[in-house]
Amino acid sequence: MTEVLPTLKKLERRQQDMVLTYENETEYTVSYDDLRFACPCAKCSPMRNEDDSSRSLRRQVEALPAEKPTVRTVGKYALAFEWIQGCSSGIYRFERIYDLANRRDPDRGKPYVHGAW
Amino acid sequence: MADSPVSINPPGGNGQGFEGPSPQEQKQMEQAFAQMKRKMSMEEIGRKIKHKIMVLSGKGGVGKSTVSTGLALSLAQQGHAVGILDIDITGPNVPKMMGLDGRRLHVENKRIHPAQGHLGVKVISMAFLLEDEDTPVVWRGPIKLGAIQQFIGDVEWGELDYLVIDFPPGTSDEPLTVAQSLPDIDGMVIVTTPQQVALLDSRKSITFSESLKVPVLGVVENMSGFTVNGNAAPGTQVSIAGPGGKTLSATADDQGDFSVTLDIFKEGGGKDTAEEFGVPFLGALPFDPGFVRGGDDGVHRIVSEPDGPSALAFAKVVAAIQDQLSDGADSGLEII
Repeated sequence: MTEVLPTLKKLERRQQDMVLTYENETEYTVSYDDLRFACPCAKCSPMRNEDDSSRSLRRQVEALPAEKPTVRTVGKYALAFEWIQGCSSGIYRFERIYDLANRRDPDRGKPYVHGAW
Repeated sequence: MADSPVSINPPGGNGQGFEGPSPQEQKQMEQAFAQMKRKMSMEEIGRKIKHKIMVLSGKGGVGKSTVSTGLALSLAQQGHAVGILDIDITGPNVPKMMGLDGRRLHVENKRIHPAQGHLGVKVISMAFLLEDEDTPVVWRGPIKLGAIQQFIGDVEWGELDYLVIDFPPGTSDEPLTVAQSLPDIDGMVIVTTPQQVALLDSRKSITFSESLKVPVLGVVENMSGFTVNGNAAPGTQVSIAGPGGKTLSATADDQGDFSVTLDIFKEGGGKDTAEEFGVPFLGALPFDPGFVRGGDDGVHRIVSEPDGPSALAFAKVVAAIQDQLSDGADSGLEII
């Protein structure tokens, strides 16, 4: 059964994480480290395929200085995060952000293969 | 290199004669300079073109070039300055559809000038460079990518309101190269047909867009339904055996006209995919054999029948795209 995605109403940026408030008044906290580790771009995604490269990505993300990102909406379906340092390429669908909020694997266990999903 | 006319003392050097670059170094420098010039040119082009729209599909044969040309012509019908960049290097069809078959490109001051098709739409395509249309282009990746960069950087588009970029099917190098070369792409239009296998591949295209940092403007369902028009005595009940064993009925109106729409490739799949991925559904385009004839004759359906049902369907899709382009911040999300 497909899960109904609640609408994200508020995103509060804090120094290390962001607080997400959905229309059903549920509130979640997502750390910027988790957010950046889950970047869906073509450069970061393949790094999560293997344990070694995944750990390396995690270390890279955690080594970045704490900063509040600039957030913009992409159409009505996604968010983009701009960072001063590190990767700003990924477009995060609201489903992906909801998965992160609920501590679920946003890749849904699927490995990334460029050009052949 | 004793006979070289150039002798330079490099900064921090020992004051003795400095030999000029070797021919190989000279070539590398020239290549780097050309690359830099092209990059600057691509940025300049990016500024001169207000909106850049990529048209993709995960699967071949869904009518992507028909949709690209239709979007371009529909935008041109609104009075916009429009161009089409046909990136399908191995199977470029856009010139034929735009009535530019057999045309050659004009080059002046090392800049390529696009051909102009119906309604003044500017067209650049690999087809213009082929000796004959039966010659296949067998290029490996790097050459193909070089050609794409040249098509972007060395073309004199002038000021455009919209550039529609038509890609080969799939999620491979071409869209990646364009996304990396052309700044500020507005987004992708994903073309699909209603059947499951096309939808599966469209989902790949949507996921692909996220990794390229290019937003999805929406999904267009092509070949959505074929409308049969007929005439019978007013009030006559007409039954037609449709696909999937369905019987479709219609009643002839006061003039005796009736119409029935057959969903040859099922229906509503594009809308379902858009909903599943939370991206906009831009509309459905009817299955219109006139596109096939028009494609072969070089007169697009929008040109031959500007007020026909297909042209109107395209106008709706264009309006939905323009909605998306002017949208962005209106998601109701409060960001603090």
